[in-house]
Amino acid sequence: MKSTFIAFSLFLIPLLGISQETKDMDSTAIFILDKMSDVIGDLESVTFDLNNSIDKFDDDNNIEKQYSTSTISFSGPNKLLIRTEGTEGKKGYWFDGEFVTYYSFDENNYVTLEAPETTIEMIDEMHANYDFQFPAADFFYPSFTDDMMDQFDSIKYLGKKVIDEEECYHIMAINKDLNVQLWISNETYLLPKHFVIIYKNKSNLQYESNFSNWSINPTIPDSVFSFFAPPTARLISILKK
Amino acid sequence: MTTNRLNIKHRLGIILVFLALAFPSDLLAQRMGHGASRGGGHSMSRGGGHSMSRPASRPTNNRATTRPATNTRPASRPSHTTTPSRTPSKSINGGHTKNNSRDFSNRNKSNIPNKSTRPVNTNTPSRDKSKVGDRTSNNSAPKLNTNNRKTSNIKDKSINRGDAARDKSNIGNGNRGNNINSGNRNINIDNSRNVTINNRNTYVRPSYAHYSRPPYRYGGYGYYCHRPYYYHPYRPFYWGPYYHPWGYFVTTLATTAIIVSIVNDSNDDDDEYHYENGTYYLKTEDGFVAVQAPVGAQVSDIPKEAEKVEVNNTTNYYYGGAFYEQNKDGYIVVPATAGTIVPNLPEGGEEVKIGEVTYVQFGETYYQPIQIDGKNMYEIVEVKKE
Repeated sequence: MKSTFIAFSLFLIPLLGISQETKDMDSTAIFILDKMSDVIGDLESVTFDLNNSIDKFDDDNNIEKQYSTSTISFSGPNKLLIRTEGTEGKKGYWFDGEFVTYYSFDENNYVTLEAPETTIEMIDEMHANYDFQFPAADFFYPSFTDDMMDQFDSIKYLGKKVIDEEECYHIMAINKDLNVQLWISNETYLLPKHFVIIYKNKSNLQYESNFSNWSINPTIPDSVFSFFAPPTARLISILKK
Repeated sequence: MTTNRLNIKHRLGIILVFLALAFPSDLLAQRMGHGASRGGGHSMSRGGGHSMSRPASRPTNNRATTRPATNTRPASRPSHTTTPSRTPSKSINGGHTKNNSRDFSNRNKSNIPNKSTRPVNTNTPSRDKSKVGDRTSNNSAPKLNTNNRKTSNIKDKSINRGDAARDKSNIGNGNRGNNINSGNRNINIDNSRNVTINNRNTYVRPSYAHYSRPPYRYGGYGYYCHRPYYYHPYRPFYWGPYYHPWGYFVTTLATTAIIVSIVNDSNDDDDEYHYENGTYYLKTEDGFVAVQAPVGAQVSDIPKEAEKVEVNNTTNYYYGGAFYEQNKDGYIVVPATAGTIVPNLPEGGEEVKIGEVTYVQFGETYYQPIQIDGKNMYEIVEVKKE
């Protein structure tokens, strides 16, 4: 009896610990995020453009803004193509379900690696092992809303706002390090329109993205996701983190 | 007594659940965290285009046992569970998954997000069997072109860096980084020549100069350079008519070749280096093969093509990838020093992508491509653990 009691007490400890966290989740905000994730989860393929503005520290520790434009295509569970051009140069990612290639147009060199079988696993693994940055990848995690609920202490719905003549739902998520604001389009489809991440712990650096030209379930030939090296491009090695 | 025994299973079960609840995995990925999505990646194979189909792939009794305290599935979403499961998904992310409670009826904040629902992920058999079957068959079946696809060499810093490199026992271990992938070609190196770079001869002496620029940080290391990164492709340089790249093979050496003495060589291996016109050779069964200059080798003369380079305010001579210091007996091979700028690199290097930069690597030495007065050069990088 005594040991049962101890076991039961042990069982309660984590629950107590967690229930002490005070989280402020707005049901409207969660509902909107859920709907958006539902739409994204139901997509079989998608293409969109992304305009990024990224703050970085320069050599003298001043904040320098960098801009880039990406075109991103997902197709099925295991195809991804990203082309990015901006301050940091021109580069692309090709993922065909077997191999992922990072190609730098400026350096004319590339890295090809065997990859996990799904796009999301690939994104996760490449980010963890090689610091590959996939723009706006957060939105495509199947558990996006759950992740937001876990990671942030407060998620609020701030009302309808107009961005680029599109009516959007404005949502703000806050924890001690980050302030994330999302604008989710209330036009035909409930898809992300804009987001800002403010790094409160790093001089309020901002990462800002604007989505445009959503194309829902387009037919994309599989071959575009396979990388074919230009004749002069060099395959180079890569250092694991 | 018998009841106690019967309870052991239950108690073990409770302790397991406790462990699962106490250590939820919160791993970071991308800009925001995606603890759940680690499993989420696997949820691709749950079968449905949407989490609505989950009940089909989840044994109900498992669910009952792993969610004892929370019982979070809100009554407000019954329609989700009744949705018939869809045909195998082509969804780009396997469909939206929801594990957290969405029960907002209770406005008590502390109740809202309950992480204890999370371990369900770990206990849930996450793969829909039919789909896995598909995948395995895909994997087992040889795919077109797979074997021909060249993949990059994956370098691992545990092999390429650290004091182990200076450990003599490491010598001769071939330090090319393990080629983890199945790619069958190492592009930068002509393997037919059997170039082996000896780590002992490529370690970098730290520079005591102050670095005014912040290092490039990657994977827990800082890569320090005095000059900014300026990419130019690696093109091996040939130092005049006598220069022979590493791996160059000859059956006999000229009579002018000398056997070099290696100063302070506490090394156990009794390799005998032959030196001729700036090139070092090791004897093999059939002849001699050109190798990297061994640190500590004392020679009386170096080719006239050797260039002067400044190293910590002293002048070194650089030829064929080796650094020489002048002394009373002639010249002695010294290790590379961080911050040294060289105009050219020999054959045998490998371009390596390190985060967003591409360096040329020779064993332990990383060269950063730079540009000085419009001329392409390289600076030896100082790598420090952060």
